[in-house]
Amino acid sequence: MPSISFEKVNKKFGDVSVVEDFSLHVEDGELLVLVGGSGSGKSTILRMVAGLESVTSGTIRIDDRDITHLAPRDRDVAMVFQDYALYPHLTVRDNLSLGLRLRRMPTAEINRRVAWAADMLRIESLLERKPKQLSGGQRQRVAMGRAMVREPLVFLFDEPLSNLDASLRARMRIEIGGLQRRLNTTTVYVTHDQVEAMTLGDRIVVLANGRIQQIGHPIELYRNPINRFVAGFIGTPPMNFVEGNLHRENDRVFFVSEGLRVQLPAERLPGSVPSKAMTLGIRPEDVTLADGKPTSGGAGAARLSGRVLLVERLGGTSHIHFDVGPHRLMAAVSGEDPPAVGDTVGIEVPSERVHLFAADGNALARAE
Amino acid sequence: MRPVVRAGLYAALTLAALTFIYPFLWMASSTLKPPFEVGSLALIPHDLTFENYRIMWSRAPFGRALLNSVFVASTITASVLVLGSMTAYAMARLTFPGRRVLNAVTMGVLLVPGQLTLIPLYTLIVQLGWIDTYTALIVPYLFNATAILMLRQFFLQIPQSLIDSARMDGMGELRILFTIFWPLARPALAIVAIFTFMGSWNEVLWPLLVVRDQQLMTLPQLLTVFQLGGGAGTLGVSLAAAMVLVVPVVVAYMFLQRYFIESMAGAGVKG
Amino acid sequence: MMQRPRPERSSMRAEQRSAWSLTAPYAAFLLAFAAYPVFFALALVFMHWDLVTPPSFAGGDNVRLLVTDARFGRAVLNTFVFLAIHLPLQIVTALGLALALNRRLAFRAFWRATFFLPVVISGAVVAILWNALYATDVGLINNLLAKLGGSPIPWLTDPSIAMPAIAVMVTWKNVGFYVIIYLAGLQYIPQSCREAIELDGATAWQRFRHLTLPMLLPQTILVVTLSTINGFQLFIEPYVMTGGGPLRRTYSVVLYMYTNAFSYQKMGYAATIGVALALIIGAVVAAQRRVIGTAEAA
Repeated sequence: MPSISFEKVNKKFGDVSVVEDFSLHVEDGELLVLVGGSGSGKSTILRMVAGLESVTSGTIRIDDRDITHLAPRDRDVAMVFQDYALYPHLTVRDNLSLGLRLRRMPTAEINRRVAWAADMLRIESLLERKPKQLSGGQRQRVAMGRAMVREPLVFLFDEPLSNLDASLRARMRIEIGGLQRRLNTTTVYVTHDQVEAMTLGDRIVVLANGRIQQIGHPIELYRNPINRFVAGFIGTPPMNFVEGNLHRENDRVFFVSEGLRVQLPAERLPGSVPSKAMTLGIRPEDVTLADGKPTSGGAGAARLSGRVLLVERLGGTSHIHFDVGPHRLMAAVSGEDPPAVGDTVGIEVPSERVHLFAADGNALARAE
Repeated sequence: MRPVVRAGLYAALTLAALTFIYPFLWMASSTLKPPFEVGSLALIPHDLTFENYRIMWSRAPFGRALLNSVFVASTITASVLVLGSMTAYAMARLTFPGRRVLNAVTMGVLLVPGQLTLIPLYTLIVQLGWIDTYTALIVPYLFNATAILMLRQFFLQIPQSLIDSARMDGMGELRILFTIFWPLARPALAIVAIFTFMGSWNEVLWPLLVVRDQQLMTLPQLLTVFQLGGGAGTLGVSLAAAMVLVVPVVVAYMFLQRYFIESMAGAGVKG
Repeated sequence: MMQRPRPERSSMRAEQRSAWSLTAPYAAFLLAFAAYPVFFALALVFMHWDLVTPPSFAGGDNVRLLVTDARFGRAVLNTFVFLAIHLPLQIVTALGLALALNRRLAFRAFWRATFFLPVVISGAVVAILWNALYATDVGLINNLLAKLGGSPIPWLTDPSIAMPAIAVMVTWKNVGFYVIIYLAGLQYIPQSCREAIELDGATAWQRFRHLTLPMLLPQTILVVTLSTINGFQLFIEPYVMTGGGPLRRTYSVVLYMYTNAFSYQKMGYAATIGVALALIIGAVVAAQRRVIGTAEAA
């Protein structure tokens, strides 16, 4: 059962701490995505699993075996690198087989595995070529093939799609997902692209500044971001944020900011809130245009008025940017007839869709 | 360019080229001429003779000197490539205490003029009892700071992921160096090999200091000693001796001139 | 599970271990053949040593001798005579050939390879060859002069001609090397600058004087520095061709150092010459750079 567990793993470069107190259990066969910006420590974690980076303190296990201090070759893990790391002077076939030959595997078995991987990745016709003669997508496949033939306990992917153009990236994303499910090999996948994370991951770990922000299934992170960072990171287009204050009037609670007043479902708020200053978050796809018509849930939605600044038409949907008082909000709406720039429109913010974050950034109300 | 200018340019270039080539052609032809004919400008010998070569060969051990030169230059070149790239690999791609010092010292070595260390090196060789040994000719040249810095510069450009990938495939550092880096570094290795070999092949002063036994002399040394000792007697004979040194170089140069120029110009600028 | 005693950052240690074993031979080499000789050179300045009897303390003897030694002074003076002829000649010929080659030409690689040929040939061979070319009676050059109606010139036996003759020969040997340096510099002059100055109506000479020459200043500094260092290392040419004569007019510093060590067995004094030579080279190169720098600023 190849599962991976991290126990209080720390990594320092000199005095700089890049990974802090990282504990996590990756299930057997799971595809776990580490996502975060640059400097979040995601690649360092991956490289510590690979043995390319030493661990300052803590333990990493594969199954029950402590691999924290093993040499890379003794860990039985395979990695797909961002720039593929294909040996330029070797043919595709030799690139695939080198790792096996170094482990003194019988030739027949090597040939079987190379044929199997080449078939699975549809690169049989490229086996005698050199990496220079391959397209980006083909190189990517060879890099995966090189990891596959090893039949390792664990696959590691280090931003494998970031060197590809957008359309190829979308296609390879699907292929990697499909391949991982078929092979059912425990996988840790690092990316800075939250779309990649959402579409590929069984679970996602959001990292910032070397610390775990939140762990969860993609939809969980989308629905219940634990803090403002995760809320802003997951989901496209990104969540709208508005700074403001909470006001209690009788039994009702309002979020108030200049030009904006949203009633909140009081029953979902804790009795005492840590601060009056709050940040309200609302996803663009949850913002609707009122179009002058009365809305369905009158009490459940706040009605605002905004001036349209910019309309980005994407075809099926449009992104509409508008000013509400001093705030700039965005709505993602479907339909092919968006309002024109300069129009003043009615906007509805459904209160059950609102996220609230305290001054320290932590989510307050789980307005589901 | 106007045709007149163009014609003038080619005429000037031809004249310049002749001043560089003609002396060598004249040298080659003079070795095939009898003594009384040597002074003539003509390139085709009137009376073709190999007498100069016979005399040269019988009076001093030029065959042995040729072998000595080949042996010494090859050994030094092999060492500069193998040991030098091991050093350069560590300096470029491994982190270890002392790396900065090693880098700084290596650059510092390039600033020290050879004349400063010549005499102390000579006394060191004397004290080690290495006078009249191949060791004296080879050991002080086993490493070359210019070569190490050039290789290091080249190794720095190889992506880290290739090293990572090789390590995960179970390669040790030496294996990474020789099976991954060397094939990629062929141009740099060729450049280093050429200037190292040529430097050793053409060196005179050091052998003159540490070798007195004719049997151990390198070609340029024996040539110099032969010339100064009056062993040649005639111009034709001494030029014939020079030919032994020149011909292999010119043949190699004709095939690899682009590499020679890149190598020797590059090393000269950096060194 | 038993907690094994684990070495902190063990893979880091493994990397250090391999790095140290990879660099240890070089470090040892540096100590023995670079660091030790430099320090020992300085020590030798204060020693008398004939390599047979044990070295003895010399105090300031070697330095005093050096300062008053007319032969050393002569050798330094000779080097300056050599440089006075060699440097301008080297710059002009190298620059001229590089400018000629920097045009669209047929057989460019051939011309370049031809000019570079003497660079790959051993200095010993070049000295022997030019000995023959300069020979007064059977030499090629005097033969050529005779064909043109001139009288033979005693190239290497006239005290006032010998050093210039050697300077010309060294220029011939090295010019190809400097042509490559200038050619590389010419590649860096942007096409737009050439076009701009042409539009300004500059003549060919003005273009050269106000664009090409200033843009090639770094290369010129390099040429001056390298040929100066090279000039101070003059050895095999006088050794083979003139033995330092006539009248010691071609005697070089390195030749004098070699003679002191090899013929007179005066290691202390030879090392003193070496140290002095290193200091002179450093001073001259620094002075040249300053002069060229100010010339540029003016």
